[in-house]
Amino acid sequence: MSFDPRLPRDDVNVSKTHPLAEAWWLVVGAAAAGLVLTVVALALSDAAVRWLPPSLEARLFGGLVEAGAAEPPDHARAAAARDVLARLSSHWPENPYELQLSVLDSDTPNAFALPGGSVVVTRGLLDQAESENELAFVLGHEIGHFAGRHHLQAIGRALALSLTLSAVFGSVGADAVPRLTSDLASKGYARRQERAADRFGLGLVEREYGHVAGADRFFARLPDAKARFGDRAVAWFVTHPVTEQRIAALHRFAQERGWRESGPLTPLAPLDPRAPAAVP
Amino acid sequence: MDPWVEIGLQLGVPLLVLLATYGIGSAVERRHFRLLRMREIRSRSMPVATILEVPPGWEVTGSALVTGSCVVSLDYFKRFVAGLRLLFGGRLASYETLLDRARREALLRMKERAHEAGYRAIIGVRLETSQIAPNGRRDGRTAGVEVLASGTALRLGR
Repeated sequence: MSFDPRLPRDDVNVSKTHPLAEAWWLVVGAAAAGLVLTVVALALSDAAVRWLPPSLEARLFGGLVEAGAAEPPDHARAAAARDVLARLSSHWPENPYELQLSVLDSDTPNAFALPGGSVVVTRGLLDQAESENELAFVLGHEIGHFAGRHHLQAIGRALALSLTLSAVFGSVGADAVPRLTSDLASKGYARRQERAADRFGLGLVEREYGHVAGADRFFARLPDAKARFGDRAVAWFVTHPVTEQRIAALHRFAQERGWRESGPLTPLAPLDPRAPAAVP
Repeated sequence: MDPWVEIGLQLGVPLLVLLATYGIGSAVERRHFRLLRMREIRSRSMPVATILEVPPGWEVTGSALVTGSCVVSLDYFKRFVAGLRLLFGGRLASYETLLDRARREALLRMKERAHEAGYRAIIGVRLETSQIAPNGRRDGRTAGVEVLASGTALRLGR
């Protein structure tokens, strides 16, 4: 028997495709697939939000309201804020929510709209407000989020994106992809929502007081708040449109509607019960 | 931090690592293939076969079990490409060169060991592959793959 001393071939088991070319086409394909998935997931989530009745929303997220209202830190202006919230929402007749207000113990002036109809304001916001009109605009803005159902859209979009994209890319270890995509997808969207809520809130303020004076005071004092509270106030700027642009947009909107931009401001209860009411 | 800077960093750093590991990995691979070919030419005269019986006419004066093994792992670039490949299916080309190198290396190590010990042929050659999981966990990730070549080395009389 003879033995043919052959060398192993070193091409049988090796593809001809260049590794970098293969990597490039895989990345392009994955990006395209990710884009299609993102668009589909966002459209599905928005449709689901439109069809979710507020009663079901309250049942699903009722826990959030109760958790938020479980131990409300007492604040000298909490009762006034609840009163303003009730008066403002009376100008929105088709309001399907039972709005509730709770105070969060935080120095940073801020406010949130939680699913189910809960408005959370920080102690810092109540401390800083110089007039009822200013506070009313912030609360009106949050009511505007409920009117546009932004609070649910934001949650739905984040959930839909992270579920679909993690299901695909997470399994192959590309964890950064879902994070980046949802970042990009949510930032511009959040700004549009903020502008819509601004306009809605301004409309409520106009109907309540007959003018929109003082509404922009909260924004106008923000650089001051940043100086006082440092970086904690900076987080606010990330999702919200740049403050000056936002104030300008408010004035333009008021002019378009022919709303009066001057009028008497309603004072708020003093922070210290013994001091006289602050007249702005 | 500006969000675009953040996105640039989050995409740019992995991209740099990918390109660097591709550069290093392919240089190492080219060198390994060159060395494999040289050693294969050098050890070409030793018959290596999968037959289980000693061929008629061979005068066998001694025999022993010989093995050669090679443990290989993936580089960052190969793992990345293979990960994307899982989405679409198809040939895992980035693994093919790796396993080809491991098989040839294991066979060569077996032959070289047999040659040093004075054997002149190997029959009944088998190749086996086993996966080594990191920390013994079975989470789908591979720490490495071992390729083991084994056979019966024969000492031949003249």
